Amino acid sequence: MELLCWGGDWDLPSVHTESLIVLAYAKFAGAKLTVKLVDWTWRTITATVPQLHHEGTSVTEPTQILNFLRQNRFNADYELSAKQGADTMAYIALLEEKLRPALLHTFWVDAENYANLTRPWFASHSPFPLNFFVPSRQASVALSRILLTKAEAPLHSVAEVEGKIYSEAKECLNLLSHRLGSSHFFFGNTPTSLDAFVFGYLAPLHKATLPSAQLQQHLKQLHNLCQFCTNILKSYFSEAASGSAPASQDAVDANLQKLTQLVNKESNLIEKMDDNLRSSPQHRPSRPHKPEAKPSSLATARNLTPA
Amino acid sequence: MSLAAEAFVSQIAAAEPWPENAILYQPLREDQILLSDCASSLAVQAYLRMLGLPVRVQCRANAEYMSPSGKVPFIHVGNQVVSELGPIVQFTRAKGHSLSDGLDDVQRAEMKAYMELVNNMLLTAELYIQWCDENTAAEITRPRYSSPYSWPLNHILAYQKQWEVRRKMSAIGWAGKTLEQVYEDVSQCCQALSQRLGTQPFFFNKQPTELDALVFGHLFTILTTRLTTDELSEKIKSYSNLLSFCRRIEQTYFESQDRDSQLGASDYSKGPSLM
Repeated sequence: MELLCWGGDWDLPSVHTESLIVLAYAKFAGAKLTVKLVDWTWRTITATVPQLHHEGTSVTEPTQILNFLRQNRFNADYELSAKQGADTMAYIALLEEKLRPALLHTFWVDAENYANLTRPWFASHSPFPLNFFVPSRQASVALSRILLTKAEAPLHSVAEVEGKIYSEAKECLNLLSHRLGSSHFFFGNTPTSLDAFVFGYLAPLHKATLPSAQLQQHLKQLHNLCQFCTNILKSYFSEAASGSAPASQDAVDANLQKLTQLVNKESNLIEKMDDNLRSSPQHRPSRPHKPEAKPSSLATARNLTPA
Repeated sequence: MSLAAEAFVSQIAAAEPWPENAILYQPLREDQILLSDCASSLAVQAYLRMLGLPVRVQCRANAEYMSPSGKVPFIHVGNQVVSELGPIVQFTRAKGHSLSDGLDDVQRAEMKAYMELVNNMLLTAELYIQWCDENTAAEITRPRYSSPYSWPLNHILAYQKQWEVRRKMSAIGWAGKTLEQVYEDVSQCCQALSQRLGTQPFFFNKQPTELDALVFGHLFTILTTRLTTDELSEKIKSYSNLLSFCRRIEQTYFESQDRDSQLGASDYSKGPSLM
């Protein structure tokens, strides 16, 4: 399977929300995707991103791609009850209605962010002469989406809806933070498609260096959501995670994937206990123990993986 | 409304109690109102009835143009005008009437999420079927929408509205959907609602919330409105708990209240009944 998506930056695998959703879900479900970047090609303007190609069929839109992956036995929602499945749909609708307008505004309409961050990034990732068109086209799509869905009358200006969409988005972030509470993921200990969606929406806001950052400031105050993004980045997208990935990618079975995650978690626990033991007064470490702890946990994980 | 204006309004609102002569405006019930507007209007009526706040329903051909946000329904309370369910919920809360105070933070998050699900799926599907399905648009929507106006204004306004809705659909990526896909979305949404409701009387067990009002408004309207095909209502009819949920709210808040208060037909604006 091949995924066409926008490339990464700001410590993220992709800067594009929809691409991030698919990439995260694929990691959660253990699907092996060959990532093909749309950057510097003419498809920056012709293709709908993200796009999944598999044996002659191509699927666009995150929801459709996730459905397609599920049909191909890459299911991260296998253990969810029917009610949890319903909750997933509801929260995704909440994100779309309340958070997306403000995110689009932050990245594409806010003049300072657009001029200093978004336009330079997308222009520098598009080939000449498309660099003159790609950012402004996306910005106008974003603006018209905000106006058509949120403005009260068709001719109203964006200034009148700004206050409304930002207060709605902040409320939405608060609600998500309440819902997540102190747990690792939205439904227990394994990530599901809702986690992929929330991660896709929040990670760019969490990581980008925005000159005008009112929504980002708000997110920074919700520590559990920030921690949630950092955790996913660390355990699924960091160098260490990609090192252990080949072992799990062979495993088509989703249960096997879950077993690996469990083992990883346990070995982390062991590592922590180990750390505690070593830092206890009767056993003063002669060398720094942090760097060597990492590879050892990886090794255990690899050895224990049945595949 | 700007944030400052909103804060100002809610401060004033808090000062005055709910008056007896509150009025809810909606388009003409018999000839003009469309499925989506009827659903939103019924949701607001159900919400106010659940709170026990009296409101008189007035039908006006130009309700859409009277509304501050261009959307119906809107309520006229004292010297304030508020439109749509979300702001009306805030407004009543400022006056000290709320259905969701008993919920904890997680439940409130869940309630808001399901309300957005209804807006995102059911409301959008209603708009799509009304304006983007050419059969429904030509046979039902455009004639009804433009019924108060004479030629050529009727055509101009109807096509202008249709163009507006279609632009919105293409902005949110629904323009490429087929009617079957839209029915499939409605079905998924109903399944989610049905799963969430389970065997409880209301979505959050014993007490109704604004979510119950919103779901009732949409489902009841879809069930009792005749379109070119009845495929949309068939989707809902396969979920028996949703049907009995609608029936229960109709009985508790519309039939018995009307009987008790003896207000007669002028206040009874829900239209046809289930059964």
